[in-house]
Amino acid sequence: MTPVLEARDVSMVFGGLKALKGVTLTLDEGKIVGLIGPNGAGKTTFFNCLTGLYTPTTGQVLLKGNVLPGDPAQVTDAGVARTFQNIRLFPSMTVLENVMVGRHVRMKQGPLASLFHGPAYHRGEKAARDRSRELLSFVGLNNLDDELSRNLPYGDQRRLEIARALATDPAVLLLDEPTAGMNPQETEATQQLIFRIRETGVSVVVIEHDIKFIFGLCDSVSVLVQGELLVEGSPETVRADPRVVEAYLGKPPEEVAHEVEAAAASAEEEQA
Amino acid sequence: MSVLLQQLVNGVMQGALIALIALGYTMVYGIIQLINFAHGEVFMVASYGGLATYTWLLPEDLKKVPYVALPLMFVGGIIVAVIVAVIMERFAYRPLRNAPRLAPLITALGVSVFLQEFVRNVYPNATSNLPYPKVFPEGALSLGGVNISKTGLLLVLLSVGLAVVLQTYINRSRMGRAMRATAQDPDTAKLMGVDPDRVIVLTFIFGAVLAGVAGILYGGYLSNINIDMGFQTGIFAFTAAVLGGVGSIRGAVIGAFIIGLIKTLAGQYMPGGTQYDYVWIFVVLILVLVFRPQGLFGEPERVRA
Amino acid sequence: MRKHSVKSAAIVGAALLVLAACSSNKNEAGGNNGGSCDTSKGTLTVGVVAPLSGNLSALGIGIKQSAELAVDEANKKCTVKGYKLAVSAQDDEANPAKGAQAATKLSTDPTVIGVVGTLNSSVAQTVQPILKEKKIPQVSPANTNPTLTRGNDFLTAPKRQFENYFRVCTTDDLQGPYAANYLVEKAGKKKIAIITDGKTYGEGLAAELQKQVTKKGGQIVGSEKVGEKDTDFSGVIAKIKATNPEAVYYGGEYPVAGPLSKQMKDAGLNVPLMGGDGIFDGKFIELGGKEGDLATSVGAPTESLATAKAFVDAYKAKFGKEDYAAYGAFSYDAANALIGALATTLSSGDWSDSKRDDMLANVGKYSGSGATGDVKFDQYGDSTNKVLTVYSVTSGKWKDVETGTFTG
Repeated sequence: MTPVLEARDVSMVFGGLKALKGVTLTLDEGKIVGLIGPNGAGKTTFFNCLTGLYTPTTGQVLLKGNVLPGDPAQVTDAGVARTFQNIRLFPSMTVLENVMVGRHVRMKQGPLASLFHGPAYHRGEKAARDRSRELLSFVGLNNLDDELSRNLPYGDQRRLEIARALATDPAVLLLDEPTAGMNPQETEATQQLIFRIRETGVSVVVIEHDIKFIFGLCDSVSVLVQGELLVEGSPETVRADPRVVEAYLGKPPEEVAHEVEAAAASAEEEQA
Repeated sequence: MSVLLQQLVNGVMQGALIALIALGYTMVYGIIQLINFAHGEVFMVASYGGLATYTWLLPEDLKKVPYVALPLMFVGGIIVAVIVAVIMERFAYRPLRNAPRLAPLITALGVSVFLQEFVRNVYPNATSNLPYPKVFPEGALSLGGVNISKTGLLLVLLSVGLAVVLQTYINRSRMGRAMRATAQDPDTAKLMGVDPDRVIVLTFIFGAVLAGVAGILYGGYLSNINIDMGFQTGIFAFTAAVLGGVGSIRGAVIGAFIIGLIKTLAGQYMPGGTQYDYVWIFVVLILVLVFRPQGLFGEPERVRA
Repeated sequence: MRKHSVKSAAIVGAALLVLAACSSNKNEAGGNNGGSCDTSKGTLTVGVVAPLSGNLSALGIGIKQSAELAVDEANKKCTVKGYKLAVSAQDDEANPAKGAQAATKLSTDPTVIGVVGTLNSSVAQTVQPILKEKKIPQVSPANTNPTLTRGNDFLTAPKRQFENYFRVCTTDDLQGPYAANYLVEKAGKKKIAIITDGKTYGEGLAAELQKQVTKKGGQIVGSEKVGEKDTDFSGVIAKIKATNPEAVYYGGEYPVAGPLSKQMKDAGLNVPLMGGDGIFDGKFIELGGKEGDLATSVGAPTESLATAKAFVDAYKAKFGKEDYAAYGAFSYDAANALIGALATTLSSGDWSDSKRDDMLANVGKYSGSGATGDVKFDQYGDSTNKVLTVYSVTSGKWKDVETGTFTG
């Protein structure tokens, strides 16, 4: 079976800096893959290559066996959606509008059709609105349609970003640190949400620092260190691999897990 | 009393004209943070385009039928304005999209001078005022001593109507949402499948259509046009956009009406009369900017992540 | 240094320079004179300073072409023995600063024997001193502001301002009152509102009119100013309308006056607009001047003068159209005054800078019969021809109503 998303030997060079060195990653349909690694390992750069924001210096990204176009708008159209490490909602648009912008690529009205408000326009707008409301309810944001997105609490903003990404009807969803700054309850809810997303037939790639979260969520985990893929395998394999402990974690796993929790708690305080 | 009412009516009409142009300034600024100084020239070019349509394209017998001639002049003027705006965006501004802000600004000034000189040199007799064809509603309604010019009334109705259509479009339609999304975060908008080039061109086109309507109505309302009209009216429109808060549709319209009213009322009641009415406009602008730098309806400048 | 400044000017405004170059080319009038005249001593130049581009170009081009006609005829008739005459026309864009540049350019050309121009009194104010430095006579076909010849106290203590300045048209201290008499006495308009454009010409004319209106028992009900580049006059009109004037007098020129008249009518102020020679042009009507609007202009109607017929015919033969405008005949006479004085000056020897004093004196003494009647100057340089005409817009054309001189 063709994997839904496949990165083949992707390298990215900025000037003299090799940010990615021949990274290969395979995502099978209906799976959740985790991407971990220390800060600066190239995780977000890799995401940017997957979404067309960057064109890889060498290597290819294939979606269902087809090479992805180099333009972000076309990548979205092809079926890859993402969220951001630092939330990037449209702050002065309402919650519902944010999701409806996500529908943009699946709507067909051109500039003129929407000017003359014909029946096709009304049908299209209604369909988009209904689908957007459905997605908001799916991620657990009810009755907030007309709130400006910048006024939402942090956790809700993350969920809204996911709803917006889902609105593009993706085959693959890329989540960049979806639980950053969340408390344990919210993290747990996010995990459940990602499982439910998978149930709808969307395959997911997650970047996350929270090791516990990743190991509990993913079918397979890849570890990126200094732009290179260090280990790839099931959570159990990766957890047991001494190189991961040494190169990435640098300390026994329990200690790291503890640290991550402390970091999450302090982030939460900041948020409050 | 009737003088006050008359001046209010005059102010509203001037405001309506300024609003049509101010919308173009504010939309383009909202999307690409460019003060398109050549926008006033798009308005001027549209006016000449409408005149050219009448002079050379309309058959003699149709010239005498206002309800055929006038819409065709609008069409002609708008087409010319749109073509100029699209070419301007494609060849003058797009190559500078990622350049420092000063570069497109200076380019805009250059485009403005170019368009003026182009019309001056190419359009026959453009060096002097040209009379505008008399295909507009003639005369005026008189209400209790207040005179309401029919063309002026048309101007106000069209201006407010088009502003409402534009606002609705931007708030309620797919491309409108795409425009707002691009204005707020172009990179993320791209990731939602929005093509920024399309959005930007569309913004220029909308601005040009409104400026086109304004250009034709200007000729009808004031009965003659000249190549300075774009600069003169453009300054007011730009001021209106700043006063209302650049980027805000509602702000541009309200700012324009405020300017129209200040101009006529100051001309009537302030020392110096009509010769110094401009001064008061800028006094108000300065006061607003001192106490509310983002303008009446603008949002404070946001630092992008 | 000079080269450098020219270069940077070219960089800043290449388009403008192209324009300027186009409009300031030397027109070699009478290039083909069949070799019947002796032109062995070279070429002498009659300068023209007038607005050849911009809003007033219709008047300016009439001035330029009429001067060319005069020079052309002189070349054909060998009026100036031994020399060929040429016209060098400079564009002043109706702008005093541009006029100064044009005057400087002409004054540095040793072959320039005199200048025809300017159109605008305000431009004449900057042109006069520059030409005076080089003792170049200037004969204006169109400046009507009295201070140019007789100073600020032109009625009580007239004093000649520039020995090199002459004009063939009459002045606003006659034109304004003449218009006032017509408005108050003939047309019966007692309540008059005044609008001016703030320039020398318009202000002077309106001030003279105002005095005479009051003297004749009329009333000035309002006084407003508009900008030369304004196009929307609704504010001014609303203000004036509230005073219920029976007529509006506009001190300024047709680019503003035409639309102003149209907008007055649209605003429900349907009273005649009257102006001076600055609005007396077909363009005024084209731009919105309405039936019954009035203008005074200098001289008798060109078409009605026997002396003018030859000019009109010759102009039409040379340029194809009768677009000599309001000052064509005056410009033709002005050029002929310069040519006549030059012929007299050269009867005692060849042209050189030392002849310039003679030339000035000879212009002052010039007497001839021109297209506008007798051409002669008084001790201030003013024309002795004080004839004025009132015109009114009738069936879409200017039609003369009354011709005469101001008698108080």
